[in-house]
Amino acid sequence: MLKNIRLFAGFFIIFLGINNSFAAAVNEIDVKQEPVKLLGAKEIVLTFQNELLNVMKKGQQLGFQGRYKQLEAAIIKSHDLTKIARIVVGREWKKLSDEQKVKLTGVFSQLSISAYAHNFKEYSGESFEYLSEDKTARGGVIIHTVFVLPDDKDVKFDYMLKKKGDNWRIINIIANGVSDLALKRSEYTSVLKREGFDELIAKINEKIDNYAKH
Amino acid sequence: MHTFPHNKGVSTLFITLLILLTLFLAGCASTEVIEEDIAEVDVATETDPFEDFNRSMFGFNESLDTYLAEPISDAYLWVTPQFVQTGIANFFNNLKDVNVVLNDMMQGKLMQGVGDTGRFTVNSTIGLLGLFDVATEIGLEKHEEDFAQTLAVWGVPAGPYLVLPILGPSTSRGVPGAVFDTAANPASYIGLPIQVLQMLNARANAEGGLNFINEAALDPYVFTRESFLQYRKHLITDGESEITDDLLDLEDEFYDEDELSDEFETLDTNELPAEVSPVTIKGIDEQVVEKTGFQLELSSETKDFEQASDSLDGAVQSLDEATTSFEEAGDKIIQMENQ
Repeated sequence: MLKNIRLFAGFFIIFLGINNSFAAAVNEIDVKQEPVKLLGAKEIVLTFQNELLNVMKKGQQLGFQGRYKQLEAAIIKSHDLTKIARIVVGREWKKLSDEQKVKLTGVFSQLSISAYAHNFKEYSGESFEYLSEDKTARGGVIIHTVFVLPDDKDVKFDYMLKKKGDNWRIINIIANGVSDLALKRSEYTSVLKREGFDELIAKINEKIDNYAKH
Repeated sequence: MHTFPHNKGVSTLFITLLILLTLFLAGCASTEVIEEDIAEVDVATETDPFEDFNRSMFGFNESLDTYLAEPISDAYLWVTPQFVQTGIANFFNNLKDVNVVLNDMMQGKLMQGVGDTGRFTVNSTIGLLGLFDVATEIGLEKHEEDFAQTLAVWGVPAGPYLVLPILGPSTSRGVPGAVFDTAANPASYIGLPIQVLQMLNARANAEGGLNFINEAALDPYVFTRESFLQYRKHLITDGESEITDDLLDLEDEFYDEDELSDEFETLDTNELPAEVSPVTIKGIDEQVVEKTGFQLELSSETKDFEQASDSLDGAVQSLDEATTSFEEAGDKIIQMENQ
């Protein structure tokens, strides 16, 4: 009887052991997958800022095209450019044909990357500092950071992120209270209403050319 | 007028006239009219009802800048060594700190007021009349306060967006703000050469920002308006309290937008007939425009004129609100102190 109990207990322990290690294995998979697949909103922003600083440090060697290539990868990984392009034209979006929507999203992405490649071309001791994180009512997240300039007042950079599927993506940047998305939205809707779609695309292309030249 | 010494210059006279005008207009305006106007503004909720007028003023300022201010400013930047430019910028910034202290106090920011008084004292003495910004080096941070912000803190609404000749972007609240700021700036009383230098310095410091607008803006008018209004809001709230609320509003709006466009995507094919009718109406409109082009041009000019006078009304209303706010301000400061 006693033997049986011991046997049973032994099995039980073995069983538990297996069970635990199985659970541990499952946990390990979870832990391993999380950083790869599901970066938190904060990590998305910090990774992007790091890559931006790296490009700035190598800015002169890379040249415009080099900076563009590196930033393109970094921006696509961290921003929801399709959604931004859609928000930026506001209610005008639904008046566009499918072809126009594709065209707009394309040139808009090009313009956004060009603007970064043009404006962040050299490094003189700047850095980013993470401050805090806020949740918004609609399930978004705001990451508060400051851009520290060595010879000037700090600039507040607030990033607004939303989930695209399982991944957090930046949809707006607010620099010292000035919302990039709101600013662009006013501009784009105004140009669309006053001058039309073709003129908007022409203006965007002109900006892209200027950024590449200077 | 003869009571004012002659050598104090044009600006003193100008300011005195403006203040007298303010008092006069404040006396004239009846409270009933103001209440009606406020209700109207609430209904309209447009920030830029005078866009046509503002755009032409923006165009005027732009050409004034291109043909006059920019060449002179370029020459100034070319001739003057960097350390002299920095010294001059510091000098005028230091004089502005007098106004900053006044507005700190009027907004009940007493500690900040003490710090800014310290800034002015240190920079005016050790900093050799403000040529060197020693205060920032020793950790006394520069603050941006002006009378338009104080009015906002007192509860005067911004009113419509205005582009003023030469002075540029403003709101109707910004007009009494600018009058007060000019009056409270010692540079306004030093004399004409200093005021010319002050303008040169202001234009030279704006160089970077103006270049950025030229590079980035698809529509420079809208770009300037939006960034001005948003940045002012940021200054008024000191960048702290309201930012998350603002974001919430924005997000709500974007969410609605999302839903709308999602809805649209599912309805895409059914919606087509509805899309056709506005297009045909537009076509008719265009024909009308072609036929009566000249008349329309004329009427748009009178529209501009009407907008100009409307925007003046707005400014006058703000001046009026400013004076009533002055009366209430005393009570509010006492309240803040008690808190």
